[in-house]
Amino acid sequence: MDYDAVVIGAGLGGLSCASVLARNGFKVLVLENTGQVGGCCSSFDHQGYRFDIGASIVELKWVIDDLFHKLGKKTEDFIDFIPIDPIYGFFTADGRRFSYPVSVEGTREVIAGFSPEDALAWDRFSEVGSEAINFAFGKVMSESMGTMKDMIRVAAANPKLAKYLKYMVLNFESVLTKFFKNDTVRASMSLQSYFVGLPPALCPGYVAFLAYSEHEGIFYPRGGMIGIPQGIADAFTRFGGEIRFNSRVDRVLTDGKRACGVELADGTQIRSNVVVSNINAKTLYLELVGEEKLPAWAKRAIKSYEVSIPAPMIMLGLDAKPDLDAHHSFCYATLDEMNRIWFEDYANNRVPDGGFMLISWPTHADPSLAPEGHHCLNLVSFAPYDLADGDWDRDREKYLDTMLGLLEKNFNLKLRDHIQVAKVNTPKDFERLLLHPRGAVYGLQSDITCTAAFRPSARSRVLRGLYLTGASTHLGGGVAPTIGSGMVAGDFIIKDFG
Amino acid sequence: MKNLKKALLLAGLLGAVAAYFAADESTRRYIAHIGKQVPYLPYRYFI
Repeated sequence: MDYDAVVIGAGLGGLSCASVLARNGFKVLVLENTGQVGGCCSSFDHQGYRFDIGASIVELKWVIDDLFHKLGKKTEDFIDFIPIDPIYGFFTADGRRFSYPVSVEGTREVIAGFSPEDALAWDRFSEVGSEAINFAFGKVMSESMGTMKDMIRVAAANPKLAKYLKYMVLNFESVLTKFFKNDTVRASMSLQSYFVGLPPALCPGYVAFLAYSEHEGIFYPRGGMIGIPQGIADAFTRFGGEIRFNSRVDRVLTDGKRACGVELADGTQIRSNVVVSNINAKTLYLELVGEEKLPAWAKRAIKSYEVSIPAPMIMLGLDAKPDLDAHHSFCYATLDEMNRIWFEDYANNRVPDGGFMLISWPTHADPSLAPEGHHCLNLVSFAPYDLADGDWDRDREKYLDTMLGLLEKNFNLKLRDHIQVAKVNTPKDFERLLLHPRGAVYGLQSDITCTAAFRPSARSRVLRGLYLTGASTHLGGGVAPTIGSGMVAGDFIIKDFG
Repeated sequence: MKNLKKALLLAGLLGAVAAYFAADESTRRYIAHIGKQVPYLPYRYFI
């Protein structure tokens, strides 16, 4: 064998798994399709500005601390995190602006300005959210949930999970409307459902508590989001791990029902006892392993998953400070509007025209990402992969113009006069660059029928020696969940091969 | 016994249908979405 383990993709899940294995004496090779680490959690330099590719913030930072602890290291020796406060600034269509600070009490005061009743509800929501995150859902972050046995074991170890099961059964919208009555307050917490790529009506209820978990602290790594994978890659290489860039894996090699290595696009074959995938599970099973090698039930299972909604991103370099209040600004959309984006626009292959947008302002936290006095902005929205009227490669300028126009019209936010650099990453770019089928940055859809034991297992049941990390496996997309997935796969491999 | 099982199954089904029609639009969408995915669960569990 050339290596004990070969990892396909240097995203957060792949790197986390690789570093756990390298720390435990495995000879590990990471093969990355692009020229840099991080996948969706990365950054690139463009005409003097550094832009983030996808992820824009870190919450539940303790998962990263857990990883470094597992590696016998300290996070702060590898990543310099900057605390972010306030969490969000909000723009409303009628010209109002407000923001939520990290402080739970401070946010209570802002909410009380809209509705004293909802300020009391915020107290209850925070209490439930704190317990749900810290003693229930947070505990499953880096635990295997691949089988009923796993689920029962985790539930038995965390009895408070049972108390929150109702939030798995209810949808996101029902949880929010159960707690809050004021439309502005509800709308201010409506965007988190799309953090798992689903509208409020289809998103599992427990995701609603992300609106609380952010108040436990959010962070930005100095030097851009690439600082996180770079920190993990640094630890990995110190343990003797090897990363090869611009190395595209075309095939997973098999020997009967066992994975035994990979074949690169140039035909090179690399043999290993273990193959770890950090790419979308549909691409892994249907293309790299090959549909013809899958049993009928596995083909049916993997084809049944829908991929998540794409999130095209506009990156702007500005020659002036933008008129914003926070690292993240949310161009306000009601729960109805957030559902309309899915059921009317997305379903009919239209670009949403309601103006919903998340604006990330990384130079607010780290001015070194742009020339002095200049700033970087990322505008994130949601849109279909197939356009009913247009083509992404042809219409990226049109998309830029439409989104800037919506910001001006709906929220009086004028950016055009200060734009020095503009770049649009469309769903097709995400597909080409990061191999996300149909530009699905959140991997597979994350409703309750694609969660825990019903999401592709971290330890493949189709091929022995094949393990999955990243957004396609438990717990889904996001910085903390994908790092957790890497730890879960690493633990499995050590148990199976260590 | 067989008849009792059938009656319970029927009652369960009727209860689910009644709950669906009594629910608000958001919950109906949720139930319909989850309902469409249920046939795949036995396959998904084993992948």
